[in-house]
Amino acid sequence: MISQFFVLSQRGDNIVFRDYRSDVQKGSAEIFFRKVKFWKEDGKEEAPPVFNLDGVNYFHVKVVGLLFVATTRINLSPSLALELLQRIARVIKDYLGVLNEESLRKNFVLVYELLDEVIDFGYVQTTSTEVLKSYIFNEPIVVDAARLPPLGPASLFMQGTKRMPGTAVTKSVVANEPGGRKREEIFVDIIEKISVTFSSSGYVLTSEIDGTIQMKSYLTGNPEIKLALNDDLYVGRGGVPNYGGYSGSSGSGAVILDDCNFHESVHMDNFEVDKTLSLVPPDGEFPVMNYRITQEFKPPFTVNTLIEEAGSLKAEVILKIRAEFPSNITANTVLVEMPLPACTTRVNFDLERGVVGQNADFKESQKRLEWSVKKMVGGSEHTLRAKLNFSQELHGNITKEAGPVSMTFTIPMYNPSRLEVKYLQIAKKSKTSNPYRWVRYVTQANSYVARM
Amino acid sequence: MTVGKDVSSLFTDVVNCMQTENLELKKLVYLYLINYAKSQPDLAILAVNTFVKDSQDPNPLIRALAVRTMGCIRVDKITEYLCDPLQRCLKDDDPYVRKTAAICVAKLYDINAELVEDRGFLDALKDLISDNNPMVVANAVAALAEIQENSSRPIFEITNHTLTKLLTALNECTEWGQVFILDALSKYKAADAREAENIVERVTPRLQHANCAVVLSAVKMILLQMELITSTDVVRNLCKKMAPPLVTLLSAEPEIQYVALRNINLIVQKRPTILAHEIKVFFCKYNDPIYVKMEKLEIMIKLASDRNIDQVLLEFKEYATEVDVDFVRKAVRAIGRCAIKLERAAERCISVLLELIKIKVNYVVQEAIIVIKDIFRRYPNTYESIIATLCESLDTLDEPEAKASMIWIIGEYAERIDNADELLESFLETFPEEPPQVQLQLLTATVKLFLKKPTEGPQQMIQVVLNNATVETDNPDLRDRAYIYWRLLSTDPEAAKDVVLAEKPVISDDSNQLDPSLLDELLANIATLSSVYHKPPDAFVTRVKTVQRTEEEDYPDGEGGNSESPAHVPGDAGASSNVPPSAVRPPAAAPAPVADLLDLMGMDGNNSAIVATDIPASPAGPPLPVLLAASAGQGLQISGQLIRRDGQIFYSMLFENSTQVPLDGFMIQFNKNSFGLTTGAPLQVPLLQPGTSASTLLPMVLSQNLSPGPPSTLLQIAVKNNQQPVWYFSDKIPLIVFFTEDGRMERSTFLETWKSLPDSNEISKDFPAVVLNSVETTLDRLATSNMFFIAKRKHSNQDVLYLSAKIPRGIPFLIELTTAVGTPGLKCAIKTPSPEMAPLFFEAVEGLFKS
Repeated sequence: MISQFFVLSQRGDNIVFRDYRSDVQKGSAEIFFRKVKFWKEDGKEEAPPVFNLDGVNYFHVKVVGLLFVATTRINLSPSLALELLQRIARVIKDYLGVLNEESLRKNFVLVYELLDEVIDFGYVQTTSTEVLKSYIFNEPIVVDAARLPPLGPASLFMQGTKRMPGTAVTKSVVANEPGGRKREEIFVDIIEKISVTFSSSGYVLTSEIDGTIQMKSYLTGNPEIKLALNDDLYVGRGGVPNYGGYSGSSGSGAVILDDCNFHESVHMDNFEVDKTLSLVPPDGEFPVMNYRITQEFKPPFTVNTLIEEAGSLKAEVILKIRAEFPSNITANTVLVEMPLPACTTRVNFDLERGVVGQNADFKESQKRLEWSVKKMVGGSEHTLRAKLNFSQELHGNITKEAGPVSMTFTIPMYNPSRLEVKYLQIAKKSKTSNPYRWVRYVTQANSYVARM
Repeated sequence: MTVGKDVSSLFTDVVNCMQTENLELKKLVYLYLINYAKSQPDLAILAVNTFVKDSQDPNPLIRALAVRTMGCIRVDKITEYLCDPLQRCLKDDDPYVRKTAAICVAKLYDINAELVEDRGFLDALKDLISDNNPMVVANAVAALAEIQENSSRPIFEITNHTLTKLLTALNECTEWGQVFILDALSKYKAADAREAENIVERVTPRLQHANCAVVLSAVKMILLQMELITSTDVVRNLCKKMAPPLVTLLSAEPEIQYVALRNINLIVQKRPTILAHEIKVFFCKYNDPIYVKMEKLEIMIKLASDRNIDQVLLEFKEYATEVDVDFVRKAVRAIGRCAIKLERAAERCISVLLELIKIKVNYVVQEAIIVIKDIFRRYPNTYESIIATLCESLDTLDEPEAKASMIWIIGEYAERIDNADELLESFLETFPEEPPQVQLQLLTATVKLFLKKPTEGPQQMIQVVLNNATVETDNPDLRDRAYIYWRLLSTDPEAAKDVVLAEKPVISDDSNQLDPSLLDELLANIATLSSVYHKPPDAFVTRVKTVQRTEEEDYPDGEGGNSESPAHVPGDAGASSNVPPSAVRPPAAAPAPVADLLDLMGMDGNNSAIVATDIPASPAGPPLPVLLAASAGQGLQISGQLIRRDGQIFYSMLFENSTQVPLDGFMIQFNKNSFGLTTGAPLQVPLLQPGTSASTLLPMVLSQNLSPGPPSTLLQIAVKNNQQPVWYFSDKIPLIVFFTEDGRMERSTFLETWKSLPDSNEISKDFPAVVLNSVETTLDRLATSNMFFIAKRKHSNQDVLYLSAKIPRGIPFLIELTTAVGTPGLKCAIKTPSPEMAPLFFEAVEGLFKS
C-alpha cells in the first residue's frame, strides 16, 4: 500500500507531504527529486514513472509542472498508484478551482483534510469529489486564475474563444459565487485528440482518435441526466452492419468506435438500443466516456514539404499547410515544427506578404524550425519559405537529417469523428429554473506528423 | 509541521484544543498528534480521554476520526486504549465508521499482532466480508490481505463461499474497492475449468472500466483463470475481448501507458495472438516520452511477423533518423533482431541496414555493425557479400562493442576478405590500449586468420599478438585464452583448426525473451510492480521487519547488553551467512588481520573478488580511525577510512550507537574536495538500536565537481539521521586510494616519460626515520597499493628502485626510491606532470612505510 504521498514543485520544494505508514524514510522526497533530476540509466535520460531505489518504489506523474509522487515498499499495483495520483490532482483541482503551487500552499489545511479522507493507512478510500463533500469542512481560498497555466483538456476552451464563459472551468465546485447563489450550469465537452502520420508521399499511414466526453456539473440537487449520442454509433469493428460496403472517408456513414469505457456512474441500459447514456453526475470534473477510433477520417490539415538543394552549402525548404475543414471554423495556435540538419548555421525566412499573426523562428540550440500561425480559417492555405545555410556538405542526405514535420493545433467546435451529443436532458422537477447547458467540441493534435 | 519545522514543544497547548466542537480544528489537532505523539509519549496519554470520548460521539464522522487517528499513533499507551473503541466501531451502525475500523485493524496488527489475535479482531474483520456496504467489504478485504501477507499462518483463505460474496460485491464497489477485491481474488485457485469460466464471466465487464487499475487487475484475473480453461473457443474469445481494453490503455497518460506496455510485453510473450493484429497501435508517436518509445519498440519486435514486416521496417527506418541517440540505436538494433527472428525478411532487413550505414552517422554505423555480426551468426554463408560495404566504415569505429564485432567478422571470413591481414594489422598497433572485449576478439581473429592463411604476414602478427596477450597483459582472461591458443598451435595445428574454426551453433533472437518459469511467475504478478520491473517480487520487496527480527536473534540471551561483546555487529542479515557469529566470537586473537593481508599479496590482485565478498563480514580488521567521537556526537560514534578494493574506492565506515534511542535514516554528504570524491550510492545503515553498531562499505566515485585551489587532502563530511542534528567532521584523503590498477608502465615508456618531463617537475624528499629491511617485501607491499616495480640498480651501497603509479584522469607518477637496506633513511624522488600533487604523494608514502 502507499507509504507516502507528496507534491514537489519544479525546483524540488516540498509543497505537500503526507506519511501514511512511516515505513519509508523521511528524506524520500529529496532522494526522489535528486534521482529524477539526474536520471541516467538504461540509456534513457528521462526517469520512468515507476522505479525502485534502495527498496523503496517511487511512482510519479507530472501535472501542470508539479510532481505528484507516491512511495511504497510492497509489490503494489502501479496502475493503481499512478491513476490515484492523477485523481488526487483532479480532486484537489475540483476543490481549489485552480491547481498550482500557490493555490496548494494557500489551501494546505484543506489539502491535508482531503488527503486524510482519500487515503487511510495507504489504502485508497475514495476519489469522488461528490462523496468527499460530506466529510470535508474547510472552505477553499480562491486564488487568481487569470495568469495561471490551466489543467486538463477542458482548459482548451479558455483560449480566446468568446463563446465560452472563461471563468467557469476554473471555478471551484464547492465554493460559492461572490454573489452568494450558485449558477446552475453543466458543461459537456467532447474532446478529441488526433494522431496522424503521413508518409513522404502524403498518404495517411496511421490515424487515430482518442476521444473523451468530459462533464463538469454545477447543478444542485443531483438531477439525472440523459445524454443522447449519434444513432449510427457502433462499438467494435465487427459490430457494424454492412461493414464491407462502408466507405470511410466519404463524410457520411456510421461512427465506429474501436473500444470505449465509461465512468462508474453511467447506466448503459439503453445504450445498445437508442445510444443514450443516463447518469447522475457527481460533482467535479470527470470523463463520462472515453473512446478510441481508428476508422479513417479526413485529416484537418495537409502538409506539403519541399526541399531543394541550392548549391553545396545551401538549401531551400518550402512548407505548405492547408486547412481542410469548413470555412466557418477556425483553428487556433497552429504550430509547425521541423528538425533541421545538425550542421545548419543560419536560416532566413520568407513569410507571405500581408499576413498577420504569423511568426517563424530557428531554434539554434535544438536545430529546429518553428512556424506559428495564430488563427487559420477553414479552407485557407499558408506557405513558408526558409533558406538554410550549412557549415558542411550534406551529400544529398538532407531529407534524412531533416524532418519529420510535426504540427500542433486546437480546433474548437470541430471533431473529426462526427460523434455528437444530440441532446442533453436534465430531469428537473421545478419548471422555473432552466440550467445553462454547454456542449462544446474541440479537436487537438496529439501526434500529427508528416514524414519526409 | 508539514514543511519540516519542529513544533513539538507546543504539544500540551495543542492537546488542550482537542475537545473543541469545531471539526476543522479537531482534524488539525489530530493531524498534529499523529506527527508528534511518538516524540512525546508521556504527554500523549493526555489525549486518550478525549479519544475515547470522541469514539462514542453521536456524530459518525467524529467516531471514525477518533479510531482512525488512534490507529495512526504508534504509542503503546494509546494502543492499549484503542481496543475497546475499535471493538465497538467494528459493529457500528454507520458504514463510514465500520470501513474506517476495518482499516484500523490492519494498523493495529502492524503495531501489535498478538493483540489483534487475542481480542478476536480477525473474526470481526472476516464478518465484515458479508457486510451489506460494499465499501466496508472492500476495506475488510484489503485489511485481511495485508494481515495475511505479514503472517505465516493461514488467516484469510478465500473459499468458494467468500468467492461468491466477493464477486457480488465487485459489481457495487467503488473503483478502488474493485481493485482490492480483484487483487485478493487473484490468489484464489479455481477448482476446474467450469468454475474458472464462471469467474471470468463475472470479471469480464470490469474491462470496460475507465480506471486503468481496474482494467489491469481484471486482465490479471482473466489470464490466471485462462490457464485452467480447456476449451480453445472460450480462450480465443477471451483473447478477443481483452485486446481492445489493453490497447485503450495506450490512450491514457504516458505514465499509465508505460505500465501498460511493460505488462503487454509479458502478455504477448505468453499469448502472442492477443495483439497480433494490433501492431499499428504500438508505432511510436513523435511526442511520446522516451521511456514509452523504448517499450513500444520492444513490443513491435515481438509482434513483427512475415505479414507486417514491411510496415514495421518502414517505421524502424524512420526512427533510425530521429534525433534521440539512444532511441536511434535501439531502432537499428530492432531491425537486426527482426532479421534474426524472421528468416524470410532477413534480406529486406539487411538492405535497410545498409541504407542506414550509407548515411554515415557514426553511431548508426556502429550499431548496425553490431547487429550484422549477429545476423551472420544466424545465417552463416548467406550475406557475406555486404562485408565490403562494412569495411568502408572501419576507421570510424570507436566503440568497443562495434570494434569487437567488426574484428569478429574479419576473422570469421578472413578467407574471403583479400586484405584481411592488413585490416587486422591496423587494429593491432593499438592492441595494448584496447579494452579487454576488443583485445579478446583481436586475439581470436588473428588466430583464425593464421589458421586460414598460414603465410608469413599472419605468422608475424600472431607472434605479436600472443606476446602482447601473455607477457604484457594483466588481464587473466586474455592471458588464459592466449596460452590455450599458443599451446594448441604449437602442439597440434590441426586440432587447433578443429577447435577454433569449429562450426558454431546457430543463434536465435532470444535476447529479450524471458525464461519460461520466470515469465509464468511474472504473469501471475501482472498489474503489480513486479510486472513493470520484470523481476519476481522477492527481488525488490524488502521486509524491514524481518530484518530487524533476525538482528535480535543474532544475540543469544544476555549478550545484547554486554559491553564486552565485539564492537562490530554484522550489519545485515546476509553477512552472517558468510561468517557465522560463533566463528567471530570470541575474537580470534591477533593473526586475523595479518592473514588477510597475506591473502591479498598471495593472490596478486588476480582474484580480489573473493576477498571482496568477505569484507562486509570481516569485522576483525584493524580498528578504523575515529572521526566523530561519541562525546562529540551525543553518543553516536563514527569511524571511517577510505580504502581501495577491487579497483574501486570505498569508505569503510562504522557507526556505533551509545545513545538511549534507536537511530535511523542515516544520510551522508561530502563537501567539495580536491579530487571530486563523492558518494556512488546512498549510505546503507540499518536501524541502529541503542548499544549496537553497524559497519558499511560506501562506494565512492569521482565527479567533476572539484574544489578550486591547490590540492588538499581535506575531506569534509556531514552525516545526519532522523533523531539527531547534522554532524560535521573531516577526514584526510590518502592519495594511495587513487592509485589505479593499470598504473604499471613499460620500461621504455618510463624512460621516455622521465625524459620528456622538465627537471622542474622532479621533487624529492628525505624520510630519515624509514628503514627498509628487504627489497622484495617492500616491493610486494607497494604492489598491493598499485605502485608497480620497473627496475632496480645498485649505486655504491645503496639500492635504487624505480616504480610507477597512476591516479585517475591519467596522471602518472614516476618514482625513484634510494635507500640502503637495513639502515635508516630513504630518499624518495618523483617526477609527474602535476608537481602540485607531490606533498600529497609524500604524505601517502610515509603513511605506507610507517604502517
